[in-house]
Amino acid sequence: MSDLALSSRKPAASLNGYRIVQSISVFVIALVVISPLFMLFIASLKDDRFQILADMGSFRAFWVDNPTFNNFREVGNFAGELAFGRYLGNSLFILGSTVSLGLVINSMAGFILAWGSLPGRALILSVIIALYVIPQESIIMPLLIIVSRAGLSDTFTAQILPFVASPLYTFLFYQFFAQLPKELYEAASIDGASIFRTWWSIFMPLSLPALATVSILMGIETWNQYLWPILITQTDYARPISVAIATFFGQDSIYWDRAMAASVMMMIPILVFYLAFQRWFISSFVGSAVKG
Amino acid sequence: MSALTTVPKRRRRSIIARVGWPRFLQEIGMLAPAIVLMTVFLITPFVLSFWTAMTNQPLVPRPTPVRFIGLKNFLRILNDDLFWTSLWNVTRFTLWVLPVQCGLAFVTALILNQKIPFRNVFRGMFFLPAITSMVVVCVIWGTLFQYPTGPLNHIVVTLSGGHVEPIDWLGDPDWAMFSIVLLSAWQAYGFQMIIYLAGMQGIPDELYDAARIDGAGRWGRFWHVTMPGLRPTHVFVLVITTIQAFKLYTQVAILTQGGPRSSTETVVHYMVRAGFEEQKLGYASAVSVILFLIVLVIALIQRRLMRRFDV
Repeated sequence: MSDLALSSRKPAASLNGYRIVQSISVFVIALVVISPLFMLFIASLKDDRFQILADMGSFRAFWVDNPTFNNFREVGNFAGELAFGRYLGNSLFILGSTVSLGLVINSMAGFILAWGSLPGRALILSVIIALYVIPQESIIMPLLIIVSRAGLSDTFTAQILPFVASPLYTFLFYQFFAQLPKELYEAASIDGASIFRTWWSIFMPLSLPALATVSILMGIETWNQYLWPILITQTDYARPISVAIATFFGQDSIYWDRAMAASVMMMIPILVFYLAFQRWFISSFVGSAVKG
Repeated sequence: MSALTTVPKRRRRSIIARVGWPRFLQEIGMLAPAIVLMTVFLITPFVLSFWTAMTNQPLVPRPTPVRFIGLKNFLRILNDDLFWTSLWNVTRFTLWVLPVQCGLAFVTALILNQKIPFRNVFRGMFFLPAITSMVVVCVIWGTLFQYPTGPLNHIVVTLSGGHVEPIDWLGDPDWAMFSIVLLSAWQAYGFQMIIYLAGMQGIPDELYDAARIDGAGRWGRFWHVTMPGLRPTHVFVLVITTIQAFKLYTQVAILTQGGPRSSTETVVHYMVRAGFEEQKLGYASAVSVILFLIVLVIALIQRRLMRRFDV
């Protein structure tokens, strides 16, 4: 008995030292994670690109004397040079279209796979699960042939349509719908609701968690697309902001002030959503992982 | 089931007889968009990649017909030193990024799994880089890596008391890949962190209580409860990180273009260069087939391991 008491008091005695180490590590990690992001926002408010680099080695990187939105004014055009207003708009349009089409199409398919009566649903489901292993990178070359032969080079369609239907999201919807109670479906059938109505008016309103998860995962994925738009866009017309920011690196002397402002423009939409729905974001990413 | 057998004189009722035409057509209509899109944009290119890989298909159509050349592309790839360099580079990258990124994620998750104040705030903060676009991360780290007077060099020189010369992070072939590792781990570790955190929270408290009663200290509980409980999580995290590492592209394409002296050339970058810049789509498709096979093997290993740990 006394032995037990001793052993349980021991960690308590070392608790303070342990706590201190813990707090210091959290603080250091927070510093490493946050300071580069913070610096980005501060630097975007500095006008002089040489001053930005000069400030970087010191604490001045985290302080701005005369904040100015000049950089944003410089890059935020809607046409011509530095048309980041347009690129941001393009990205938002691609994001909105892909996610809204994706929600409808993947959830319809997931619903039929879960509650429909078509023969071969189990087979389709296992094919869809198998398709998930194919990485985008390994189909991108033939996809380039298909899309450019279809005359879709340099269009929004080419950046939206190929990514609307996805094995992962169809499967996530299937999984969510399948665990809803059978009575829900039966009640709708008895009331004479068509299968489309059952999906739209009964199941979809109950699917907020699945809709949020798919929107978030799909949104992040679409927003961060880089390889595909580089291959498929040639002009400003449909160029997303990610590709446009990368062009800063092609120059001999990089305009860091402009690059920083453009980067902040690209970060803000995601950041706003993240701050508003942080819990959803994290549980979505966890949810995408535990499908085994 | 019993309803089926009581229906007289019908061998098996077809779907249409059972649910009627309207319902049947509606179901087809709801399933078809996803199936058609996946067939056109996923299955077709996938199947096509195996065919294109065995042709001399160019990117822009030429008057001369596309010829079937068998396994020549594959032979050429396997005889290209640059391909082996790129494969070695992504392997090197993987071997670096696994301990750095997963280790950092694991330690952070362990800390956040304790009852520390503001732990949800910290979790949200640490996940922030994971939702930041890689292009933006490249802008940020592009400035951090400045040579010779960037912030990282400032830290290195100050901490070493001036004994270490400033490092040309992205320009020195010996450092370039390691710099890419640092940036990549910083960007992505939040994802592994929340996966570990979820895994840790899935371990029942009773196990810890039982271990405590058995006299296990902090270290003993970690070693005999936390670690065994996280086995499937470890497998998942290691596999997903490895697959991601083999697909390394964006940061390299933006910051180093595979250089200096091919020290950061990767398989995907090699593929894009062949297909897009040199316009040899057949050749690039052959690379993509090889990439798929690599990912497939890793995924199959994961399945094996997961099954072993779950049963």
